[in-house]
Amino acid sequence: MYKFLLTLNTLTFISTFIGCNDGNKTIDDKDLKSNIINSYIKNSKNSKNSFEDRIDNLEKAYNLNSTLDDSSIKVDKIHEISFAYYSLQDFDRYREMNEKALKLSKLMNDSLNIAESYTYLGLYYKTSQLDLAYKNFIEAEKIYSGLDYYKYVSKEEYAFERGKVLIDLALILRKIKNYSESESLTIKAIKSFNDSGNKLYLPLCYTNLGIIAKYTEFYEQAIEYHLKAIEYAKGTDTEILQTITSFNNIGTTFKSQKKYNKAKEYYNRALSYTKFLNENPGRRARLIDNLAYVNMLSKDYEDLPRLFFEALDIRKEITDRYGIATNHLHLAEYYKSIENYSISKLHALKAKELALELQKNEELLKTYKILSKVSSEKENLKYANSYISLNDSLIKEERLFRDKFARIRFETDEIVEENQQIARENEILIIAILGLTALFLLGYIIFRQQQSNKELIFAQTQQEANQEIYRLLLNQQIKLEEGRKLEQQRMSEELHDGVLGRLFGVRLSLDGINQRANDGFTEARNKYIDELKDIEQEIRLISHDLSSETLPSDVAYIDAVENLISDLCEVNNINFEFNNDEEIDWEGIDDQKKVNLFRILQESLQNIFKHAGAKSIKINFDYIEDKINLTILDDGIGFNSTKVKKGIGLKNITSRVSQMSGVVQFLSSKNSGTQVSVSVPV
Amino acid sequence: MKKKLKVLMIDDHPMIIEGYKNTLLGENQKDYQIKIDIASNCDDAYEKIVKSAETTPYDMLFVDIKLPPSSDGTITSGEDLAKHAKELLPKSKVIILTMHREDHRIHNILKNINPAGFLIKSDLTSSELLLAFNNIVKGKAYYSATVNDHFRKMMTNKFSLDEKNLKILYHLSRGVKTKNLPNYVSLSLSAIEKRKNQIKEMFSIAKADDQKLLEEARKRGFI
Repeated sequence: MYKFLLTLNTLTFISTFIGCNDGNKTIDDKDLKSNIINSYIKNSKNSKNSFEDRIDNLEKAYNLNSTLDDSSIKVDKIHEISFAYYSLQDFDRYREMNEKALKLSKLMNDSLNIAESYTYLGLYYKTSQLDLAYKNFIEAEKIYSGLDYYKYVSKEEYAFERGKVLIDLALILRKIKNYSESESLTIKAIKSFNDSGNKLYLPLCYTNLGIIAKYTEFYEQAIEYHLKAIEYAKGTDTEILQTITSFNNIGTTFKSQKKYNKAKEYYNRALSYTKFLNENPGRRARLIDNLAYVNMLSKDYEDLPRLFFEALDIRKEITDRYGIATNHLHLAEYYKSIENYSISKLHALKAKELALELQKNEELLKTYKILSKVSSEKENLKYANSYISLNDSLIKEERLFRDKFARIRFETDEIVEENQQIARENEILIIAILGLTALFLLGYIIFRQQQSNKELIFAQTQQEANQEIYRLLLNQQIKLEEGRKLEQQRMSEELHDGVLGRLFGVRLSLDGINQRANDGFTEARNKYIDELKDIEQEIRLISHDLSSETLPSDVAYIDAVENLISDLCEVNNINFEFNNDEEIDWEGIDDQKKVNLFRILQESLQNIFKHAGAKSIKINFDYIEDKINLTILDDGIGFNSTKVKKGIGLKNITSRVSQMSGVVQFLSSKNSGTQVSVSVPV
Repeated sequence: MKKKLKVLMIDDHPMIIEGYKNTLLGENQKDYQIKIDIASNCDDAYEKIVKSAETTPYDMLFVDIKLPPSSDGTITSGEDLAKHAKELLPKSKVIILTMHREDHRIHNILKNINPAGFLIKSDLTSSELLLAFNNIVKGKAYYSATVNDHFRKMMTNKFSLDEKNLKILYHLSRGVKTKNLPNYVSLSLSAIEKRKNQIKEMFSIAKADDQKLLEEARKRGFI
């Protein structure tokens, strides 16, 4: 105990210390915060502190808790704070806390905490507004009954919490005299508590069953239930309290059965717990009052009215106003039974006054009944009328109450049903959305597949088109070449056979005539005839050159390449030098490679013309170790080959080279020209 | 008494025949009375040859190699015509006059026709034609300097190349690639390769490339 107090003091010290500093120090640590909240709550429970201090501690605890992230632990803490308020009898704050907890739990969709918050709110309204209490409990019960609790907590804890709600509901229903429903709920509660293994509230349940049995006139059963209640309370903290309560209830049951001696016996047995009763004077007063009343009913006037007054004195001392009202009523009845109407009336009037004040209608009704009998003729009628009208209104009220409860129940049922309906609709909606999404995805995938297929086909056709273009280009070149060849052949033949022949004829004739003429000019003419022979020789050579220049068709590719270079260079006004290694057997190389090399050259030349600002370029096709090496060299401004981001042109070249499983190198630096080297295996 | 000579001149160029006439009819008329017949195509020439074979055969035939072929296609050149003439007119002297001076052509003509005279038009002058004419009339063969040169080259080589080998060298020298040679020479590519290697061995340049082969062939007069 000493140790505990020490710990508590230390905690208080820490919490005050931190409390003083938390203005300029942010506390981030969650555990630390949680510890501080706990210590605040502990402080608030310490009865050594002043009331204001304790309330203040709770405020601090709540404020600090508010800074935590939303979690079920946070809600638990709010609940804990609310209990502390409850024990400090600050019921409004208790309600506020639980309303906040409810809101937060709903926000987090934490069913268990929602149900608990409803339960605690129900407890708040239990003493003041039964309908609101009922409503809250019903909400809680709905959640418990619909909860797939295995997911959340242990079965035992769940059963216990649910049992509490059930018994609270049962008690409310008993209060509005809906005995059958109250009974069934109580039985459910007992089952729940049995499941939970926690028998704390079982005596309460059996007590309720006993009281209901008494009202429904199953007296034997009522007594049995009350005895069971005592049995379940045995060995617990509340054993004595429960025993006294149950003895009192048994006594009342016997009283209803008109077994007054038995009743007296149980009241006396209850009263024998003097030590406990001295600490609880209210209970003692009630027992004495009940005992006195049974004595009165059994016409055993020996201890009367002393017992009544003893009870009244105790009640007055503790200002138990309900008790006082009941006491006065009993006294009125007692004096009526000994036919002392004036005193009876006096007590009855006091009872009436208090009952009106406390709105205890049952007491009031009984008071009116007595008054109607002990008053004068005139007043009798008035009280009798009051009695009748009150009785009527009570019955009416009762009915209204029941209707109201039924309505609450119906409404919550309806809400649940609506929720279920909404849930069903949501389910359908979700399924529909999922279905649509799946359909859309499927469609999209198919679309993508087709798209990529199209792309593939497109690439393929493009490649084919490229090849086709090349073939056309080559054919064009070949045809051109053939035409040229034919034309050359024709010219060659024409020169050789036609021109040369005729020239020969002319020369021969001239020569012949010259031999015969003898005019001294023979030598001069011979000189010209020789000149003619030289011309013949020259024409013959030209003819021969023309016919021998008939090139084979494999020169066509290189011609196409050279044409490309010379055309582009001419347009861009750049000098060029082109060398083709004779060793390369262009006809034996497949068209795709030739097209690629052609395009690489084209691309490179475009780059040079566009960016390099070169004055001359040099292009070589070399054949080294089964590889064709294409080198394109310019004397332009160059670029930093390590830094420049590759443009589409360079990327195209790279991709073409890799298509041919070759190697490409771009060598350049500022102001020293550029060299593109492509090496492709044959 | 002038000796009578009957001559057939076959050439498709009237100008050339004119030249021949101008040369022969000038000085030589003193010794010979020359009767000249003219044919400008194969049909005409063949007809005249056949006709003369039946009557008075020609003493001398001037044959151009390149001629418009006969209408039935059997005679396509002066070479064919000369072969016929040799059969039909065995005593006639055939003189080949041609623009062609390529070794393999010369070689072929010599081999197939063995003409009494072989004159390369581009070498020919009026006096040479006269000289040739006079020699041949007297029964001596006459060949142009170019043809003689060909003989000399043939002789100086320890070996001779046949027609096919010469053709191969000729086309190679024109710039035709080896693998295209089958289009020009009626041999398979492998046979051509074999022959090329043989030629190289003969030239004792076994492992040389085509460039060297052609150089050597030129030096040795095969091209």
